[in-house]
Amino acid sequence: MILELTITLVKILFIIGLTVGFFAPVLTWVERKQSAIMQDRVGANRADIMGFTALGLFHAIADAIKMFTKEDFVPQGANRFLHTLSPIIAVIPAILTFAVVPFGGQYELWGTHVNLVISDLDVGLLFVFAIASIATYGYVIAGWASNNNWSLLGSMRTASQMISYEVTMGLTIIGVLMVYGSMKLTEIGAAQEDFLSWGFFMQPLGFFMFLAASIAENKRIPFDAPEAESELVAGYFTEYSGLKFGMFFMAEFIEMVTIGAIVTILFFGAWHIPFLSAATILSWLDFLGANGANLVLMLIHIAVFFAKVIFFIWFQMTIRWTLPRFRYDQIMKLGWKILLPLSLANILVTGLVILAVH
Amino acid sequence: MAYFVDRTVKMTWWERLYLPAIIKGMYITSRHFFINLFGFVPFFLGQKKEREIFTLYYPEEMAPIPVAYRGRPVLAINENNLPNCVACGLCEAACPAYCIDIIPGENSGKQNEVERWPKEFTIDYAVCIFCGNCEEACPEEAIFMSDDYEIPMLDRKEMKFNLEQLSVPIEKLKDRVEFTRKMYGKWNY
Repeated sequence: MILELTITLVKILFIIGLTVGFFAPVLTWVERKQSAIMQDRVGANRADIMGFTALGLFHAIADAIKMFTKEDFVPQGANRFLHTLSPIIAVIPAILTFAVVPFGGQYELWGTHVNLVISDLDVGLLFVFAIASIATYGYVIAGWASNNNWSLLGSMRTASQMISYEVTMGLTIIGVLMVYGSMKLTEIGAAQEDFLSWGFFMQPLGFFMFLAASIAENKRIPFDAPEAESELVAGYFTEYSGLKFGMFFMAEFIEMVTIGAIVTILFFGAWHIPFLSAATILSWLDFLGANGANLVLMLIHIAVFFAKVIFFIWFQMTIRWTLPRFRYDQIMKLGWKILLPLSLANILVTGLVILAVH
Repeated sequence: MAYFVDRTVKMTWWERLYLPAIIKGMYITSRHFFINLFGFVPFFLGQKKEREIFTLYYPEEMAPIPVAYRGRPVLAINENNLPNCVACGLCEAACPAYCIDIIPGENSGKQNEVERWPKEFTIDYAVCIFCGNCEEACPEEAIFMSDDYEIPMLDRKEMKFNLEQLSVPIEKLKDRVEFTRKMYGKWNY
């Protein structure tokens, strides 16, 4: 009992520490630096400690200090309670989805069964979507509570965009569920040990649609109508400053990690290495003994999983700094007229293929 | 006159897919990303490699300045630690912005003293337009346009530089001296 509790606590601390403590601050730096390097610029490199800049990594610390010390501004006529509540509603679901995201397989260590997921829910995938859609409330309330027309417009756009793309997202994963026959994220991950059974090869169209829909969910640039710097100042967080703004910002970056993790699990073989099964690695590590080999395998799998997640974060950033933004009607057209019929067709074709194979 | 732009450009099936164009764009941006990642970041870390992009880390790295560049005008100090200037006032007269101010000193008959020298020599960089007329007018190779362009200050009064602040040893101005001799035909009088 105590042991299980300890293991769960360690896993929770690991995930929280990694997302909030590592990914969220470092991604602010990565976004600036990567966009700079892609555009042949230099990028953030001024913040230094004792003349040591570390390629501008201290900008993350400087940003954090700036956000902590800024005035926490609430506009006149705003609803103070909801104004404070909405960034919390926005950031909590982003962190909460990691409760069901497995970051490794299942291992036997010193007689203990270690399952590298905080909570192995039977409806893991549904849980992710249920929690992620709660975040919509945060954005809508933020726009409404700010008493600002730009914010309200931004939050209306957020609501319509997130709802319309959630439909596509939900229909896209039905294809994945049909192929793997499970909603448990751990089982979907475990089913992709063979390279050719990765979701990307099973559901190539589903992968592209899921990625597009999830970037639209995250409101990043090809689909950034809710923020729309050139039209709405900053959209729903126009009236936010200091740590509240920081929470919206953090939510966006943690959602990027979430999207990376979900895409990795559903479509890119989770923690598996292509053409290299766990049994093969275990046979190589035979000299370490059963426990040692399992431990090393576990670490390798965690590293592989996060390498894939980092690749997808890089991929999302590249998309964000490559494509121009859609107009608002184009977003709606893409969501309802193209992606929705395509995802329905995807389900049909998947069903026919499964029927033909069995 | 009003005219209409033909917006009915027919896109081919391949173009309407968008995905090929997106992949092409991503290929271009990620190519830039990787070229710069491996060619530029190591450069910053100290490896002297052929640099791939031309953005400079400005305060740490300075762009090479061509010799014809007109930076702030300075006074040349010769080997005897004295200014070449004889306080003739030609530069003061040539200056279209009236930013040069000279108070001459004259030999009072002592031995081992130069004939004429500037007691005070002031250039107000807040007024100077960096035209280079002073350099062209100078018959004694005393005033030169240097390659220094970093003169912004918080206070306008501080931009009046006196003789001491203006002095630069002539060794540092060698290239510019050569250049002015060629350019303005000095020593060919």
